[in-house]
Amino acid sequence: MSFRRLAVLMLRESRATLRDPFTLAILVLVPLGALLLFSSVMSTEVSGITLGVVDASDSHLSRRLLADLRAPGTFQLRPYPDRASLDRALVGGEIAVAVVLPPDLERDRRRRGRPEVQVLYDGTEVVLAGNSEAALTAIMTATALDPIASASVAPVGAAGGPRSAGIAVVPHVLFNPRLDGVPFMVSGTFGFVMSFLTTLIVAVSIVNERAAGTFEQLQVTPATSIEILLGKVLPLGGVFAVDVLLMMLLAGFLFGVWPAGSGLFFLVVSVFYQLFSLSLGVIISATSTTAAEAVSKTVLLSNPLILLSGFSMPIQNMPAVFQWLAEVVPATHYIRVSRAIYLRGAGPGQVAWELVIIAGMGIALVLLAGRAIGRRT
Amino acid sequence: VSRIQRLRRFARNVLAIAYKEAALLRHDQTVFTSVVVLPIMMTVVMGLGLSFRPQQIRWAVFDQSDDPISRRLIGDLEADSAFLPPIVLTSREAGRERLGAGELNAFVVIPFDFRRSLERGRAEVQVQLDGSDPIMAARIGGYVSQIAAHIVDPRSEATHEPDRLGTRSPPSSPIDLRQQFRFNPTLDDREFYLAALSGFVLTNLCLSFAALGLVAERESGTWEQMLAQPTSPLEVIVGKLVPTVAAGYVGLSVALVAAGLMYGFWPQGNVLVLFAGALPFMLATLGIGVFVSSVARDSAQAVFVAVFFLMPSFVLSGSLLPYELMPHGVREFGGLLPLRWYQIIARRVIDRGAGLTQILVPMGVLLSIFAVMMLAIRARMKPRLG
Repeated sequence: MSFRRLAVLMLRESRATLRDPFTLAILVLVPLGALLLFSSVMSTEVSGITLGVVDASDSHLSRRLLADLRAPGTFQLRPYPDRASLDRALVGGEIAVAVVLPPDLERDRRRRGRPEVQVLYDGTEVVLAGNSEAALTAIMTATALDPIASASVAPVGAAGGPRSAGIAVVPHVLFNPRLDGVPFMVSGTFGFVMSFLTTLIVAVSIVNERAAGTFEQLQVTPATSIEILLGKVLPLGGVFAVDVLLMMLLAGFLFGVWPAGSGLFFLVVSVFYQLFSLSLGVIISATSTTAAEAVSKTVLLSNPLILLSGFSMPIQNMPAVFQWLAEVVPATHYIRVSRAIYLRGAGPGQVAWELVIIAGMGIALVLLAGRAIGRRT
Repeated sequence: VSRIQRLRRFARNVLAIAYKEAALLRHDQTVFTSVVVLPIMMTVVMGLGLSFRPQQIRWAVFDQSDDPISRRLIGDLEADSAFLPPIVLTSREAGRERLGAGELNAFVVIPFDFRRSLERGRAEVQVQLDGSDPIMAARIGGYVSQIAAHIVDPRSEATHEPDRLGTRSPPSSPIDLRQQFRFNPTLDDREFYLAALSGFVLTNLCLSFAALGLVAERESGTWEQMLAQPTSPLEVIVGKLVPTVAAGYVGLSVALVAAGLMYGFWPQGNVLVLFAGALPFMLATLGIGVFVSSVARDSAQAVFVAVFFLMPSFVLSGSLLPYELMPHGVREFGGLLPLRWYQIIARRVIDRGAGLTQILVPMGVLLSIFAVMMLAIRARMKPRLG
């Protein structure tokens, strides 16, 4: 391998990449856009949820309950006159959660001590229903126990009594005490960009060169196939390293999400990882004749892989077969490492095993890519 | 008279182009992939693979009390199908370390005075959760609380296992919350994703066909041949859309049948209503695809743009995560995507059995997206050479 030849090839590739405004725009806009859009989509909050309400009671207690449900950062209430219209709204999908306060709410409370409130969920909106269930229970319990709310009604023993008995589970959330979804998505977005965009760009670039005939010109020069591969992959790797840095800065300044661990370590791991997803792009390009074919192959391949890699759903919830499949996907390991560094502040020691797997898969992919480039001479 | 003649000529030209396109599609290998292979593959992944419901929870316990009740709490957690057998640790630091390494989801610490405080009325158990995945952390915390709540209450002792989502709040709550989960009583994630599945398939299919169609014609020179014929650009475009819509219906049917056969998940509502709702969606998506391909320089660019339209569509439309929870700005941006409105239609019809009148609004939005796209395409597609 001649380093002078490699340097020339790299210079050529850098110029070709920087010359094309469309590619350049994609290289900058897609990672930043993905970060902006994906970062805020996961939430354990309820603040955006519309809560359907039928207040048949219209009493002191019911108004108090509704005021608490309406408080800033909680539900947006939408009143309905009766149960029938509420049911229609649930079927029509206007609301996913609804509360029905019965006419005898106040009397029920005085007599039994435990007024009955009906809550309806649209069970198909799993996340909405799950988030709302926790929030509703907490808000309603707090309201009913509040002395101001119960001041007007006859004092009953039930309110304070049974609650104090039993086991109280005190949750203590580490690494992300406010259960904020942004850091989770930010650290996953790196995996998305570094696995998908990299593969796509390199595959299209090689296929286009093949179509234009410049790739065959390269192959008749004294450059070996591994030099051609590195000459293609290293400059793009440099560009993506800048991308990672840009994304880290954007996430930091805009969302206040900085890596809990070493940022430099994360950068090194990312650069290391994406050299291998670039090799995957080279392999895809070797089996495609047109750019469009390369792109649809990449999409077809990466769609399920990104879903499997734990980008949005935890892998441990999948059945065993999918978990094995997920372990074979390099992006799984990269996303795992980036979450460990970004969220839990892990150092090299704690993710050593994952790094070994990434390296092993990477070397295998680079060798395959070298062969794929050579084969088509 | 001339208007009728013009219309007939339009229809004839459109059909001629549609015939040519259908012949092309028939010979295209990738059509089979997107119409048959992709729907089935996505059905498998989305039906089995994706879930927010915590399973195989990896947890450790540090039981400082080690008495019958604490052991029963551990036993009850272990007996729950969502929890794996616990790792027994002997210090807080060990648990903290394993949480940091990502080996654990939860770490339960039972204090020394657990039994004594319980006899006095109230004992505390600490659960340390890995908050890096917020949804999982919140759910697992809830599971532990619910299982713990049943320990002291002898009445519910026998039934703590399957009914974790419960129809009633625990007896200690001052308000008797009677909760009811409609349409999907077990809160099964699968239904959430399977309902959105056809949207994925159709978006992918319509975008890639439409985005490629025009650019490929321009590249191979056949676009100029068509300009030289007595067909107008609009006729060509509409003619190209017809067979793609037909392919889209095949893909939609494959997705529905696959979900039905594999998971017994058949639409609640009328399939014809769903088909009616799918039409404006396909038209709007195709419109975007054709517009992209009329702007793009070559097919690589067209597909690039289509792909980067595809990805945010999936995430921002609410197909994977509810759009109601997204912040303002992102939520409204998602409203520009046709998939947002189609997934609303699909969930209403498939999950809740809505009729045609209940999906008129999203259908109207989709048609207006299509109309805007057609105007934009018309402006771009003035007959011109080179």
